[in-house]
Amino acid sequence: MDFDGVFADPNPQLPDPPPDADPSQVDQISSLTLEDAGDAASDEPTAGNESPPTNFHSERNPDFGNTNRDADPSPAEQMSSLTSENPGDAAGCERPAGNGSLHANFYVGSNSHHPDPKPEAPSRVEQISSLTLDSSDAAGAKRSASNGPLPSDFYLAADEIEIVEEVSPVAGDTAGISALGGHGAWREGSELDGEAPPSPSSSGYAGERGSSGASSGIEEVDGPGTLPDDWSRGKRHFDEDDGSLSWRKRKKHYFILSHSGKPIFSRYGDEHRLAGFSATLQAIISFVESSGDHIKYIRAGNHQVVFLVKGPIYLVCISCTEESYDTLKRQVELIYGQMLLILTKSVNRCFERNPKFDMTPLLKGTDAVFSSLIHAFSWNPATFLHAYTCLPLTYATRQAAGAILQDVADSGVLFALLMCKHKVVSLVGAQKASLHPDDMLLLSNFIMASESFRTSESFSPICLPRYNPMVFLYAYVHFLDVMDTYLVLLSTASDSFYHLKDCRIRIENVLVKSNVLSEVQRSMLDGGLHVEDVPLDSSRRSRSLPPQLAADNTIPEFSLSPAITGGPSGLWHFIYRSINLDQYVSSEFSSPISNPSQRKRLFRAYQRLYASMHDKGTGPHKTQFRRDEDFVLLCWITQDFELYAAFDPLAEKAQAIKTCNRVCQWVRDLENEIFLFGASPFSW
Amino acid sequence: MATTGNNSVNAKLVLLGDMGAGKSSLVIRFVRGQFLEFQESTIGAAFFAQTLAVGDTTVKFEIWDTAGQERYHSLAPMYYRGAAAAIVVFDITSSESFEKAKKWVQELQKQGNPNMVTALAGNKCDLEDKRKVEVEEARTYAEENGLFFLETSAKTAINVNDIFYEIARRLPQAQPAQQPAGVVLTNTPAQRSQSSSCCS
Repeated sequence: MDFDGVFADPNPQLPDPPPDADPSQVDQISSLTLEDAGDAASDEPTAGNESPPTNFHSERNPDFGNTNRDADPSPAEQMSSLTSENPGDAAGCERPAGNGSLHANFYVGSNSHHPDPKPEAPSRVEQISSLTLDSSDAAGAKRSASNGPLPSDFYLAADEIEIVEEVSPVAGDTAGISALGGHGAWREGSELDGEAPPSPSSSGYAGERGSSGASSGIEEVDGPGTLPDDWSRGKRHFDEDDGSLSWRKRKKHYFILSHSGKPIFSRYGDEHRLAGFSATLQAIISFVESSGDHIKYIRAGNHQVVFLVKGPIYLVCISCTEESYDTLKRQVELIYGQMLLILTKSVNRCFERNPKFDMTPLLKGTDAVFSSLIHAFSWNPATFLHAYTCLPLTYATRQAAGAILQDVADSGVLFALLMCKHKVVSLVGAQKASLHPDDMLLLSNFIMASESFRTSESFSPICLPRYNPMVFLYAYVHFLDVMDTYLVLLSTASDSFYHLKDCRIRIENVLVKSNVLSEVQRSMLDGGLHVEDVPLDSSRRSRSLPPQLAADNTIPEFSLSPAITGGPSGLWHFIYRSINLDQYVSSEFSSPISNPSQRKRLFRAYQRLYASMHDKGTGPHKTQFRRDEDFVLLCWITQDFELYAAFDPLAEKAQAIKTCNRVCQWVRDLENEIFLFGASPFSW
Repeated sequence: MATTGNNSVNAKLVLLGDMGAGKSSLVIRFVRGQFLEFQESTIGAAFFAQTLAVGDTTVKFEIWDTAGQERYHSLAPMYYRGAAAAIVVFDITSSESFEKAKKWVQELQKQGNPNMVTALAGNKCDLEDKRKVEVEEARTYAEENGLFFLETSAKTAINVNDIFYEIARRLPQAQPAQQPAGVVLTNTPAQRSQSSSCCS
């Protein structure tokens, strides 16, 4: 793993090294005998200088803000400095001289590879008064100047997590392995267990692997081809393991492992070759558990290691993407949900019978599903918004689709969903049954990522973890066209295939006759809301769909306006989430945010904004205005909706606020077309 | 399974076998005449329908292409229950898949319909140089267990249609009309498989 040598380098003023050309920073966790916390305390001087120590943040009490640490003078304060991602952090307040880099940082241009201990490029959070009735304490809150010494048990023997800095770039790889010491022997031992990696070439057709190894290079480097659509399936880099430089340099790893340390899933590399690494993760978790505690995350330089324990299943994310703990935790929770969707929670019983149960065979052939979900973490707002989105359609069209779905739901179908890619056309549940947005996200991801559903009509057991994590439902899935419009009919009966097939034929007939399918296709081609169409003033408010959505073929307006400007007052993009409906609508990406890396930067900015607005420690907040060198971001949360908007970095605050009001009005005017009404909301 | 009108037969057919053996590839070759080098794993089971004319009988196959992954194993009875025919598929380049096929045969013998027409397909016979399962071994096993055996290749289409036609002929409902020809035809697959395996 690429811990970037922050710990070992007391003076982190490295020039930003090109990630590829700098293998000298490969560090290694070499020992895992985390035993003596008292010993760790002797490591405290490290906290005094500029380098951030490796922190174990663990919780004794789920309510971590109130965690009671005996005999420690400043536990609560320390906690907040370790975990806080609140906007005050980024509000341009002075960084404490001591362990300043401990703070969660809103790095400008979050790709920087080393933490910057100096105050950052201008990042201002301003107070908004005119937008909301209540003033907000989201911004401007000054944090306490000093974090003081860390309580000793935060280190949990941090000195024993030996981080070895490799100096020679050439020797980096081999020396890294030799530095493993006992750990290396451990890994060898596990290789001798007979867990030889399956040979991908044993099958002449390589049939079950998809196009593995098709892409290479460092992940998270956005090329022009990383749009959701042409993102390559199932890239896994099977040739990598934790000894590979390329593996360590990946910015974001996800692991699923069993409580006995057996690897179940790894985003990169072959699980079987990561047995030693999995055992390491397991050792960290079980060490903390054995003291009656739970580990939440470890911070090591700019890397964050997030842990999630779900019974016998452990999930870990290792990231240097500056995403917050809450965001990453949410992501591993979704990965766990995706696993449940495939296997149900009853997989836990396998571990009760045999703690050393090897779960990898049960997930065979699902790499593409997990890869696609992980990819969604950087483009699909549903992954952090707890909401789904609808395909814009005229009210009548959606009504027509809903009516026929309601018809089949009355005949014993539990849920009927008509979707196009990840957008809902219509959905209907049987009486009292409601679908959670997360289940919809995981279900549509599963279907979209599994090419086999496109081949023919399919009938497959799936579990909706939020609906009931213990049982399988039976899903009839059929793609209705090549535009990725598909119908999912869910039933509790395993023998319902022929009934569901008949339902599908009826539905398809109605959809074709009432032109719903052609409307869906048109809407997909036209795209959703465009910031250019936000009415310039309220008198010109349109009560109908923007031209692209209307039935005639007029030339879309945006082709007339200069492409650079975006919407009014420099509005570049927005997301509007209706709280009551559990739905969101997001504008199309247009000119200033056109390439994938800009989109990803904006996406991450929204993610941070969401996390800071909903921060459990300091929030919830009502408004936030933030300006950095990339965007002006404005967030406004009321009882009914949440609005996230991105503007040109030079946009004026007053104008931006005005525009946000217009956007909200506009969305409300269009709500019949962009939202689905009547779907039973999920009771949380 | 129902016979209606002019000797038209509906027959449920299920494909079983280890993942990666080529079940989906066989079906897609048969139903659509296509072959994909990288066929994605089947999820649950995929349903196909294809009609064949055997003599003056029309056989409408309702084909269940099941997923080979372990997690779907317990669902297999759902698909083979009431099936008139089964094709157990293995990959001639993997002895493991042959062992798995034997397990499927056992399970069908125990749980399945006793009148089920069961075929054993040694798929990927175009990969002669990677062969791990000998023709004789598989044929002997098939004879001992009352199966008929063909080596197939979804990639080159060798014996793919033949195996489905042969099943159609052997279906009890289709037999009366085909009785005289049936004897002759049952011998052909063995010869064909020999010729296909000799081509190395």
